[in-house]
Amino acid sequence: MKPIAHVAFALLVAGAQASFLRFVGGGAFSLALLAPCLVYLGLNAGNVEGVLTAAAIGYVLDLLAGTPKGLMTFLGVALFLLSRAAGVAVDLRGRAAFGVLSGAGALFLSVGAMVLLRYVLPPEAAPGVRLLPRMLLEAFLTGFASPLVLIGMRAIDRRFHREEPGLLG
Amino acid sequence: MFQLIKRYRELLLVAALLVLPLGVFFAHAKRADDPSRVDRAILWVTRPVEWVVARAVTGSLEAWSGYVALRHAHDQARTLSRENNMLRMERDALLQERAENERLRRLLSLEQGAPDRTYLGARVIGVRLGPSGRQILTLDRGSEDGAGRNMPVLVADGVVGRIQAVTTRTSDVLLLVDTYSSIAVRVERTRARANVRGTGKPDGARLEYALRSEDMIEGDVLVTSGTDGIFPRGLRVGKVTQLRRSQHGLFQEATVVPSVDPTRVEEALVLTSADRAPETAPAALAPGKTP
Repeated sequence: MKPIAHVAFALLVAGAQASFLRFVGGGAFSLALLAPCLVYLGLNAGNVEGVLTAAAIGYVLDLLAGTPKGLMTFLGVALFLLSRAAGVAVDLRGRAAFGVLSGAGALFLSVGAMVLLRYVLPPEAAPGVRLLPRMLLEAFLTGFASPLVLIGMRAIDRRFHREEPGLLG
Repeated sequence: MFQLIKRYRELLLVAALLVLPLGVFFAHAKRADDPSRVDRAILWVTRPVEWVVARAVTGSLEAWSGYVALRHAHDQARTLSRENNMLRMERDALLQERAENERLRRLLSLEQGAPDRTYLGARVIGVRLGPSGRQILTLDRGSEDGAGRNMPVLVADGVVGRIQAVTTRTSDVLLLVDTYSSIAVRVERTRARANVRGTGKPDGARLEYALRSEDMIEGDVLVTSGTDGIFPRGLRVGKVTQLRRSQHGLFQEATVVPSVDPTRVEEALVLTSADRAPETAPAALAPGKTP
């Protein structure tokens, strides 16, 4: 149930993000709040559960964002693995560290999409490096807003948390 | 083999979830595919959720901006209203100044049109247009400024009247519509002579001593003839209306609409010197009447 709840939460976040950006910025800036979801999964979820959820979130993102099928699915799984690797290598605690990793994750998603699309799309249609400042701004804003996602993901984890029986008694 | 797969199943799953989407991406990226049935099914599930979330977020933000964020709107509205009133007052003042500038420009053009004459600019500071009394305007210029009795008072549209009484600082102007005022005029078109006498009403005068034999029609413009010893020749006085030519008698009668509406005069020029010919007896004073 928890993976489904995570995917549903990611869907809610994507919808809220789209509405918020339309109302506030009108497209002047962007957010990638699914990156913190994937980062959270990389830091906290199990291997199978996490990678399946990450793939599902990426797949939904492909459908909602209109990117070529498989792009965000691949990048979502890749970000999950990178987050997991970062979590193993560095002891990440607190909202600030989560925000930094989320910002880096958002930048990874953007740059990864740009690089892959430049391989397959004609040069005039592919996103260029001129989008880099916009990507950096998106990464910064995503990192800034990621604690909100962290709160939501933690709430889902608490709701589906089960105590291991017999450990203490 | 099965044991191997079972042993590395997580690794294989991760590898599959990396390779498969990448393959799908490279296979489909160059052409836009229609959504598959699975895609459509997922979208069918996710769209309503997205719609509800969008409505909730938009509604919350609009409620915030429409109600909560308007806490200080009343104070702002009051401040803006005050500023608006101030700006409207300033605008009205500017419009007044513009109108005044226009009037003064016209007076200046009148003055520059006759360089041999000298004028004294004056403002109207008092009005007495009583129905039974004199028709008088008071100017802010008096004998100290060079104003004198019987000096003509003009605006760009024509004759206002003449100075009747002078103090050191002010002058009373007897308007041409006063019953004691009589101005020698000519019909501009035919040069026929007559007098214009006031009727005591701010908007009316009448024609006097216009011979029946003279060519005169309604609409004729009357100008000063310069023969009354007060007004120089050629200043507009009014227009002929309601012309009546009776079967007998020496003169024809008419009503004269003055060129200048005395109720609208705010600035005027006092003609302090001019080419006034000292000829014939002044017609400005009617026989038997003294102002």
